[in-house]
Amino acid sequence: MKLICLTLSLVSTSIFAAPRIASLDWTLAETLIALEAPPIALAQVADYTSWVGEDVPAGVTDIGLRSQPNMELLAKLAPDTIILTPMFTNLVPKLQTIAPVVTYEFYRPDKPLWPQLESMTRRLGEQTGQQEQAEALIRNSEADIEALKDLLSDDQRPLLVVQFMDARHVRIFGKGSLYDASMQRLGLTNAWPEKPNAWGFNLVGIEQLAKFNDARLVIVEPRPVGVEEELERSGLWHQLGSVQRGDTLVLPPVWSFGGLPSARRFAHVLVDAMTTTTEAAHDDA
Amino acid sequence: MTTPDRLAPSASPRLVSPSRATLLLLIVCLGSALLSLAPLGGIGAAFSELFTLHSSEPEALVLHYSWWPRLSMSLLAGGALALAGVLMQQVLRNPLAAPTTLGVASGANLALMVATLFAPGLLVLGREWVALTGGAAAMALVFALAWRRGLSPGVVVLGGLVVNLYFGALSVVLLLFNQESLSGLMVWGAGSLAQNGWGGVWYLLPRVVIAGLAAVWLMRPLALLELDDASARSLGVSLKWLRLGGLGLAIFITGCAVASVGIIGFIGLAAPNIVRLAGARRLGQRLLWSTLLGALLLATTDLLLQGLSGQLPTLIPTGATTAALGAPLLLWLIPRIRLAAQRPPMATQSLGHRYPLPWRRIGGFAVLLCVIAVISLVIGRSSDAMGQYHWQLTLSPEVLEWRWPRMLAAAGAGVLLAIAGTLIQRITANPMASPELLGISGGAAIGLIVAVFLVPGPSNLVLIAAGTLGALATLLLLVLLNARSGFQPERLLLCGVAITALFDAVRSIILAGGDPRGQQVIAWLSGSTYYVEPGSALIVVTTAILFALAVIPLSRWLDIMPLGAATSRALGIQVEKARLGLLILVAILTACATLVVGPLSFVGLLAPHMARMLGLARARFHLIGAGLIGAVLMVLADWLGRQLLFPQEIPAGLIASLIGGGYFMWGLRKL
Repeated sequence: MKLICLTLSLVSTSIFAAPRIASLDWTLAETLIALEAPPIALAQVADYTSWVGEDVPAGVTDIGLRSQPNMELLAKLAPDTIILTPMFTNLVPKLQTIAPVVTYEFYRPDKPLWPQLESMTRRLGEQTGQQEQAEALIRNSEADIEALKDLLSDDQRPLLVVQFMDARHVRIFGKGSLYDASMQRLGLTNAWPEKPNAWGFNLVGIEQLAKFNDARLVIVEPRPVGVEEELERSGLWHQLGSVQRGDTLVLPPVWSFGGLPSARRFAHVLVDAMTTTTEAAHDDA
Repeated sequence: MTTPDRLAPSASPRLVSPSRATLLLLIVCLGSALLSLAPLGGIGAAFSELFTLHSSEPEALVLHYSWWPRLSMSLLAGGALALAGVLMQQVLRNPLAAPTTLGVASGANLALMVATLFAPGLLVLGREWVALTGGAAAMALVFALAWRRGLSPGVVVLGGLVVNLYFGALSVVLLLFNQESLSGLMVWGAGSLAQNGWGGVWYLLPRVVIAGLAAVWLMRPLALLELDDASARSLGVSLKWLRLGGLGLAIFITGCAVASVGIIGFIGLAAPNIVRLAGARRLGQRLLWSTLLGALLLATTDLLLQGLSGQLPTLIPTGATTAALGAPLLLWLIPRIRLAAQRPPMATQSLGHRYPLPWRRIGGFAVLLCVIAVISLVIGRSSDAMGQYHWQLTLSPEVLEWRWPRMLAAAGAGVLLAIAGTLIQRITANPMASPELLGISGGAAIGLIVAVFLVPGPSNLVLIAAGTLGALATLLLLVLLNARSGFQPERLLLCGVAITALFDAVRSIILAGGDPRGQQVIAWLSGSTYYVEPGSALIVVTTAILFALAVIPLSRWLDIMPLGAATSRALGIQVEKARLGLLILVAILTACATLVVGPLSFVGLLAPHMARMLGLARARFHLIGAGLIGAVLMVLADWLGRQLLFPQEIPAGLIASLIGGGYFMWGLRKL
């Protein structure tokens, strides 16, 4: 078990009734929803929808900010368990007076991400009595990505995955990021060699991209307003190898710090984009 | 002030001159430029790619589209900010006025945030115009506040600081609820000089040139501002219009620079002061050398930082770093700058009449406090079975158990800050003094930030310990730096402002990195009673009451000290010891309160003011009245913060600064 459990005071979860779980973390919530055991309460529901890119099932109560969930409301909802990540451990003593708290840690700079996500999914499965669904999610994610891999030809350029912060700066995703984990499974190479921060990304100016002219640029939305127009005017941008070849890809939003469902989603949108543009290129030729 | 000012540079003026200082910096700058060019093909390659691009090799691309524009941009922006700094310092006759202290930068920042969230279409027209509009609006607000007083320097600075804090608080509210959508603005807000084309340079260059020419044209009348108001007026100068013109020009320059590269702290403050210390006296000299020195200062810092940030997993924004590096330099400078012996023109006596029946007024405050406390306990929003939110009157213990600790802690923190504010305003005889400006809140906050980022999953106890350590370190620093000047009020405040600037810089650097833990830091810093537990609430309230009782016997000192050091000594007070003692008291009070409601609240500035405006003039009544008002403000702010956006919560510190800031600006207008 690679998971750290700071306050493991799990009540003996009844196998018969699904436990009522409140989640402060979007990644855990996303995984629970995929396990068909959605949480009863979730922090920042509206933002979840726009950043994770998925809808929340009906009946999930919004409990306010991730960093400051509404205690009065949470106490009234009386969940069986509250789950969170180490980012919010300072809330644990207070939350414990409402319900037992379980902490999940899966983004760790020293460990590869995929096995961490798998064991997190298994633990969530055990906690909700959905072990089968957990195994199925793990299996399907792998199989899914394996199937997608077959759609790709072998001679793919290395990729640079970026998210625009403004017209001059991008988050570039390296080892230890969710995107990188997906790409590894797909047999794709990440061109970014630098050591990223604990969350798997570096924040850099776009002139850093000029060093990687062979790489294909993958832009994950949302792009801030006005960035496209400003890039049109940027001299450097038009000189980038990927832009000159016209092979940049734009992907719809995928939660960049997500779990298996996000990893799978990323693989899907990436392969979709790669295959359609390649076909288009072939049509042109 | 009777304490003699130690005059600047001990080195002989022959050795240090503005031109030599600039030359020295030029050598450092060229050296770092050569170092930074080494991996890109050296100086020869750099010059061949300057005007036209000769190859599509990555090195050539970086040189032509990034390295040269970035260097030009840093020189331009540095020069522009230094020029703006000289103008502002000249107009306000205050060596510590700077582009970032007058609300321009925070106004621009807020305008960009609002546009990003609510009217993204405007950004397509041009970010710089949105930023300029915001900066100009902030400054217009400051002017409106100071207009009645003929734009007198003290009132303008006070208005600028208040507008700064107010806009800063509004930005934090937006950030708290939209961290993901606004993460790009965090980079801009921390000032990054990264360029990927010549567009930015061509935007800024003509504007800086025009502004520079205008500054030269205004030079002679502006030099008259060194005289006192009466003499200048007797020479037939319209002070109001001259100040308006000078400040307006400075704002235009700042706005253009800020719109291009974001908020670059400290250059506008440091360059003019270094030049002055190096011996430049006349305005013309100062304008010329400050502009050159500022340009080189920013370019050198940026070149060195680029070398450094290649080794790190995150971007280090230059603007915030100059601010962080600038704070220690500022602390070193403060004892060496000659401060005008005169006070800021608006002393406490202008703050209203003396109410004849103080006890009755205090009784009124106490009743108000009780009413608001009860309302905040029993009235609130909740959700029903359908998930709808509505207002409810409740007495059920399950709900009250969540509410009472927060109400008590808010009240306690309000009292602590109000007393600290009263003390510091009385010690310094300066109505713009407040615990926030003393830097102790900032010190506590730096401690908290360090703990959040260095300790994995810190507990509240760790956070509190870290905050206290930070506050104590700040206090130690204040004592060390001020012991020799006998805790002279102005210097003390200046040190505090410098430490607060350091805190701002650290915060910007961290937020710009885009680390998800930033959200937690913002939540803490915006000042919330959220983390209070019953035990700590009782401790806060008890501490507040004990301190309030302990301070009242000191009211004789507090009645006398505003009259000045000489009078106080004549009346038998050991001024240095009294100041040191009161200072330590202020530090402890502030640290306790900051841990509960964060460093941003306005209460320490506001409550003493309101008490004073409502006619509580004697120190004893002033203290009690301010304490009660502080408690009322914080309890009200906490309650509103919990209800307005239910189930999301707005931190009490933020609401307090929004309510308080509004009132304060209204009061300032009437002043």
